Amino acid sequence: MAGRQYSAQDYPLPYVIEDLKKWPIYQLTADKEAFLEQVKARTREKIKSKFNTNEALKAELARVLYQERIRLTEKAWKADPKDEKQFWNNIKSKFVKLDQVNEVVTDITEDQLLDEIIDRYANEIVGEFDERTFQFAEKILPQFFGRVLSAAPGKWLKTFAGNVKTLHEKIPIIGDIEKIRHLSTKGTVIVVPTHFSNMDSIMVGWLLNELGLPAFTYGAGLNLFSIGLLSGFMNRLGAYKVDRRKKNSVYLETLKTYSTVAIQRGAHSIFFPGGTRSRSGSVEKKLKLGLLGTALEAQKLHYKNFPTEMAPKIYVVPCIINYHFVLEAPGLINDYLKETGKEKFFRENDEYSTSVKLIRFIYKFISASSSLTVSFGEVMDVLGNKVDENGDSHNHLGQKIDVKKYFITNGELNDDEQRDAEYVKLLGEKILDNYHRYNVVLTSHLVCFTVFELLRRKYKGVDLFTLLRTPAEDVSLSYDEVAEGVSNVKERLKQLYDDGDVIISPELRWNVEKIIEHGMKNINMYHTASPITRSGNTIGSEDLKLLYYYHNRLDDYGLEKYI
Amino acid sequence: MNEKTVGVIGAGSFGTAIANLLGENQRVLLYERKTDVAEQIRQTRKVRGYDLHERVEISTSFEQVAKDCFLIFPAIPSHHFKEMIVDFSQHLRPDHIMIHATKGLHCEFDIDQAQSKHLRLKDIKTMSELILQETGIVRVGCLAGPNLAGEILDKQPAATVIASRFDEVIRLGIEALKSDRFQVYGNRDILGIELAGVLKNYVAIASGALSGLGYGENARALLITRGMGEMIYIGKSLGADKRAFLGMAGIGDLIATCTSPKSRNFTVGYRIAKGESLSDILASIGEVAEGVRTLKIGKLIVEHTGANAPLLLTIHKVIFEGLNIETAVRMLMRHYTTADADYLDL
Repeated sequence: MAGRQYSAQDYPLPYVIEDLKKWPIYQLTADKEAFLEQVKARTREKIKSKFNTNEALKAELARVLYQERIRLTEKAWKADPKDEKQFWNNIKSKFVKLDQVNEVVTDITEDQLLDEIIDRYANEIVGEFDERTFQFAEKILPQFFGRVLSAAPGKWLKTFAGNVKTLHEKIPIIGDIEKIRHLSTKGTVIVVPTHFSNMDSIMVGWLLNELGLPAFTYGAGLNLFSIGLLSGFMNRLGAYKVDRRKKNSVYLETLKTYSTVAIQRGAHSIFFPGGTRSRSGSVEKKLKLGLLGTALEAQKLHYKNFPTEMAPKIYVVPCIINYHFVLEAPGLINDYLKETGKEKFFRENDEYSTSVKLIRFIYKFISASSSLTVSFGEVMDVLGNKVDENGDSHNHLGQKIDVKKYFITNGELNDDEQRDAEYVKLLGEKILDNYHRYNVVLTSHLVCFTVFELLRRKYKGVDLFTLLRTPAEDVSLSYDEVAEGVSNVKERLKQLYDDGDVIISPELRWNVEKIIEHGMKNINMYHTASPITRSGNTIGSEDLKLLYYYHNRLDDYGLEKYI
Repeated sequence: MNEKTVGVIGAGSFGTAIANLLGENQRVLLYERKTDVAEQIRQTRKVRGYDLHERVEISTSFEQVAKDCFLIFPAIPSHHFKEMIVDFSQHLRPDHIMIHATKGLHCEFDIDQAQSKHLRLKDIKTMSELILQETGIVRVGCLAGPNLAGEILDKQPAATVIASRFDEVIRLGIEALKSDRFQVYGNRDILGIELAGVLKNYVAIASGALSGLGYGENARALLITRGMGEMIYIGKSLGADKRAFLGMAGIGDLIATCTSPKSRNFTVGYRIAKGESLSDILASIGEVAEGVRTLKIGKLIVEHTGANAPLLLTIHKVIFEGLNIETAVRMLMRHYTTADADYLDL
């Protein structure tokens, strides 16, 4: 069953749950105190089972204190609360007293300190959902995105993917929307998008609203909360705060538990499993599995807490956002090239740290009025099995399966962290596979890929970094050469599409000249230096790094052999 | 659940050996496909002359095995494995755990028709990959090590390795199998352990051939040492880590099969060197020598990956192309002239 199909005038779709007050996220906020207590109690339990003696717990608290001191001195942010230093000084002075058992009898215990820290973290992380802010955003965002997307070449998908995919003319949306809508009323939906731009979270949030789904919660970088304009807004739209500087065990456990309990309480969630934005421009090839694991954990807890047939189910839906261009591309690719082969850790830089910068960013996005497409992959359970429209799981052989059985050993449902971690890896592999197969190839991707590969071939023997540093005016290709390459890659892509290995936009069925023109127009629209230039019969580039960045979007399909 | 019961698939000599080991710790269902053979075992309580442990029961029903056992040990030759697992699949669920003991590879196409240039590596599978492909089971493991079935059935001391990406599978396997005379180790590198168990097969054929020629232990030591390096080299070309090869399931198994005239692979090599034909040998030993299949698939692999494997290619020529065995030895002696074997830097 393909579900019913929607056309442009249907959007925004009616809410699957009309009454906002019945949305899971609304109820999460309404029940905030109890929710937080649950988070704190469970976090405490987990930490204490991991560090199960007073000595072990004390040693761990010492590590937490140490890491927090480093953060406070070396990585302080504007977003940090004013009493941050005071709080940690206070904790530290209490911690020191733990050592003085022989001299004075103090009533401070490791457990108390742990509780104070967890309480601090949980209250920092928690987000709220405010009805009025939401309704305000709902009015504002369509205007904003309406501008962005009205220029999208909307009509194309009609002729193209009429079978399984539902479409939205304004912003092409590919995927089984009806199934996602329906399952959101039966269970909890976790949307896992690719991550290319800071626009993504707003974009996905808006998009899901267009689909008539209840508001989703998601973790937003704490640094974004330092932007005055965004801060209040996001905080009231159900976003919770994630501080990537804090890597200590207690913080990570609190964060994961927060997500687990929110999902258990039915809050639909967005995870960006790539962690940070793709630096290289390529679709994610590796995922950070921490938060993803909370979906699996919540599912297991459902099976523990409910009889099998009553246990709510959690559905994972990959989402692929395809931009013709990414605003932050120049910065991202520089990061990537700098970090390649070195440390894998990226500094969280503050490129959008002020409202002014943010507005400029949004303004550019709107005025560039380029198009994007969004595709949804398969709806899956927490093990990555496909889920049908009734919410039942089917494995790769088509056998209907009971997900609970994955957590059962010798007839008993049991906890096994290592097993569950392996399961999350399996889910991660399925998500990556979806990113690969539901990636929509746009003309700009095709042209950038071909031109860069041709340059690489022409300057064979020159290593990548040298090539990228070559003055742009020194590299060129003939137009005919590019046209032939584009044509060959296009044919291969069609074949991959027929095999279900990728999705291609309908412009890829145009003739080569039009494809190149369309691709160049879109890719050059925003950047000051054009990734691809043409004068007469010569194709060149003003910015090879950018060209490389956009090229990377298609680096995983073995296309270079076909040029 | 009542008394824990584990299943074993295949009442060949190794399946029986495992069933007897398992029988010391719990009730065992031993599956035999052929009803007449099953009936005979039930009557005599013997397999190939060996007594069956009292707690081992014979079953001819996959359904029963799947129902009674959450932990199942398939031990059947690689060329029957796919057929078995496809039949079994409808009864298997994600709460089943499978630890196979088959030291062979599966090929998705007819290996005798195959040409290496059309080969895709994904068409060649280890048994654990085959289980994952053909069933809904996720928790899969393998068992490999120096485990000559006859010696285990004679209750001699031995050790083995259970490999799985799931610690739980390793733990359950150890609990089920461990005894005073059987040590069981765990390893998370299932691909490495499986390949170590498979690749040693052809080295064992070569070892048998050396004995057949009347050569002594200097030559065998040379073979084993060089063979080990080659196994690691091929394993690495398939994405395995070298460490698995240096443990019980690698070097341990290699020594056992290369030195035991009881090993079937050894026997094949020995009798080839004595001038018998392959078809006569295979007809008379009754059971399968995995090494013969390993040679065929191994040749496809090394031609595809370009792994340097002179030993494998030479033995292949001896077994299938009638290359004179003494010539083969001369060719190999000329081949290794540069450096001593050094696995650690491979």
